[in-house]
Amino acid sequence: MKDVLALILAGGRVDELGVFTLFRPKSILPFGGLYRIIDFPMSSLMHSGIGRVGIFSQYRPFHLMEHIANGAPWDMVGRKRFVTVLPPFKREGASDWYRGTADAVYQNLDFIRLNKPDLILILSGDHVYKMDYRNIVEFHREKNADLTVAFTKVPREGAHRFGLGMIRDDEPRGGRLLQYVEKPDRPAFDWASLTIYVFRPEVLMEALEENARTDSHEFGRDIIPALLEHRNVYGFKHSGYWGYTRTPQEYWQTNMDLLGSRPKLNIDGWAVVTNLAHRDIQDRQPAFIGRSAVIRNSLLYSGCRIEGRVTNSILFPGVEIDDGAVVEDSILFFDVKIGKNARIMKAIADNEVHAGKNVALGDAGDGKLCIIGRGSRIPENITVPQGVTVFPNLGPAHFAGGRYRPGDTIK
Amino acid sequence: MLLAGGVGSRLNILVRLRAKPAVPFGGQYRIIDFTLSNIANSGLTRVAVLTQYKPLSMMDHIGDGSSWDMSGRTRSIKILPPKTGEKDWDWYRGTADAVRQNLDFITSAGNCTDVLVLSGDHVYAMNYRPLVEFHRSHGAKVTIGMIQVPRRETHNFGIGIVDNAHRIIDWEEKPKKARSNFASMGIYVFDRDYLVTMLRRTKEEDFGHHIIPKAMEEKNVYAYSFKGYWKDAGTIQAYWDANMDLLDPKSDLNPEAWGTKTNVVAEGPPSDRQPIRIHDEAEVSDSAVSPGCVIKGRVCHSVLSPGVIVEKGAFISDSIIMHDAVIKSGTSVSRCIIDKRVAIGRNCSIGTGNPENANTEFPEQLNSGITLIGKGAKIPDSTKMGTNCIVYPMVEKADFHDLSVKDGSTLEKP
Repeated sequence: MKDVLALILAGGRVDELGVFTLFRPKSILPFGGLYRIIDFPMSSLMHSGIGRVGIFSQYRPFHLMEHIANGAPWDMVGRKRFVTVLPPFKREGASDWYRGTADAVYQNLDFIRLNKPDLILILSGDHVYKMDYRNIVEFHREKNADLTVAFTKVPREGAHRFGLGMIRDDEPRGGRLLQYVEKPDRPAFDWASLTIYVFRPEVLMEALEENARTDSHEFGRDIIPALLEHRNVYGFKHSGYWGYTRTPQEYWQTNMDLLGSRPKLNIDGWAVVTNLAHRDIQDRQPAFIGRSAVIRNSLLYSGCRIEGRVTNSILFPGVEIDDGAVVEDSILFFDVKIGKNARIMKAIADNEVHAGKNVALGDAGDGKLCIIGRGSRIPENITVPQGVTVFPNLGPAHFAGGRYRPGDTIK
Repeated sequence: MLLAGGVGSRLNILVRLRAKPAVPFGGQYRIIDFTLSNIANSGLTRVAVLTQYKPLSMMDHIGDGSSWDMSGRTRSIKILPPKTGEKDWDWYRGTADAVRQNLDFITSAGNCTDVLVLSGDHVYAMNYRPLVEFHRSHGAKVTIGMIQVPRRETHNFGIGIVDNAHRIIDWEEKPKKARSNFASMGIYVFDRDYLVTMLRRTKEEDFGHHIIPKAMEEKNVYAYSFKGYWKDAGTIQAYWDANMDLLDPKSDLNPEAWGTKTNVVAEGPPSDRQPIRIHDEAEVSDSAVSPGCVIKGRVCHSVLSPGVIVEKGAFISDSIIMHDAVIKSGTSVSRCIIDKRVAIGRNCSIGTGNPENANTEFPEQLNSGITLIGKGAKIPDSTKMGTNCIVYPMVEKADFHDLSVKDGSTLEKP
């Protein structure tokens, strides 16, 4: 697959994710006790033998660049292999920011020309899935397509959030794309776009040049419909898990899908690769599980120190849980510390959150998620009920005399 | 100069396929990681690792040194195996001989003034900078890193007698009855020119036996006293104890806090180890567990390396289980050291017996109630194996004449 150039759209913030994306683009959100969301497309690229990758970043790119580093974790360093992060840049007489997904690619057409690819594979860095891109590329070539879009079957309910396509029933792998609508109010088709596109480079360049003269610059809304009429556009059907994590609830659910004796999201054969140097994962010692610890149906990683009770939860490297503490149905990011006798129920705590002694966070059962922003320190004895959002970097002063109702936001 | 050729024969089958410095330790480390990390954390940038005995897994492990941040324009780790086709003798015949055969590495090292000679055999954290400062400020030709050891262990070490000026005035190499408990850590700082002259002048092969006593006659040898955690881990019981120190908060063994680094990628799977998965029916306590482990059974007071699988109803206690070993359902494992990729079948009982029944073949090495299972061995279902047993690497079902294996037995491939 030396002739394929991959472009990952990884710059989006995704406003619905609230405090999680105040400091990072969604593509770099921690996932599954070790990974970042972008590790999934990066690993799929690696296993598909695609080693030339450009990543568009816009929103707070520092952590993304730190994570991707030189691409070595995904074996993308070599004479013909590379990962280049492409941030927005200033050009004479033009705006600097990417005004949409299509504009991001348009502004980097030089990068594409320089690499002279036979095909361009455009991906989003926002989804949890595994795919062998060689299959869609092969399909695209066989059909002599100008553009191939990957789709997955979704229930009608909730389908209004996706780009939806009607695919002619040519063969099991897919067929001609007959119709396409972006986020319709009333969904009429079952196949949702995965925002995975294979383009013939000339067609992409022409479409982008044309689109640049308009004032809307999105692949789903503008480019696909424009090409649908006069070009060979195909739909490729993907089956298998596809985690769409656009809201905190969906993000939580997709993580929880990793748990259980027969997990709905089973990544055993996925061979997911992350950057073990990022946050010094590789330098942490084996997890220590103490004498009083009780752990059930949970994931954890090196650097964890557990003395309390952990059930149905996912703990990233460096999480420490003191004795008497109880953690249930929760996701604790890197280096979260939970004090003695604290109770953490259905909560997501971002990196370096500390909960003091006897803190009670969230409610068990069907309660709404509690979300704690990066680095906030919740002082001893504070009770935070279900559905509360705590902003990042708050200290004890922000909680002084606090009594909170479900659904509050603490700033 | 890191001497990593040690055989460490008292570690028995753990060193059958690898040198002592390459023996796995503390779940995810190898013994040599401690010295390599000390080197990196002391800011040393020119390093040679001298290998000899079964160097392959060690060479893989060290790689280009980047795990210890030792790769770059001004930083490197060079691996120096014995060279063939030289005039004299090709194999390293001792510590001094190994350094002598690589004198060109030392003489071509630009403007360095001192040479630090280390061994890769010990578990400890040490900043070598104060040692070198001490060496320079005392105007020493040789300085030896030394530590107080328990009296009962002095016969394993080189023992120094020191005067008030920290000068070593007498030396006993592995004495039956020692006059002090001040033991050599196998760490030497040499004045470069002195070392080069010494090694060229004589043909002596060993630092401890020959070179140090000679330098002492010239009143040039000083002792630098180190205080802190330091374990030789050179016997099966000492190795087991040191691993278990990882579980004892009072032990001062804290690899992560020490900045001990390892190479987690070499020899592992081509993708990263997944998070540790602890199932609903599992019970894990007082244990160190590494990434990639899947636990459905009970694990108590044990150290698990990456990728260990403990099936439902299995019970592991007081054991060290290395990479990708599988313990099948209904099996109990007690006081065992289980090497990489061992598979233990269903409904076995391994390691329970009378510790007084020492191993009949190696009574000196295995007599404290620990059973050793060698790399890649496959133990058939329903095996009952006692304590102080040795199962050689790659032993499989056909090599078992009886599923009941008595205390002190040794199972080999024919």
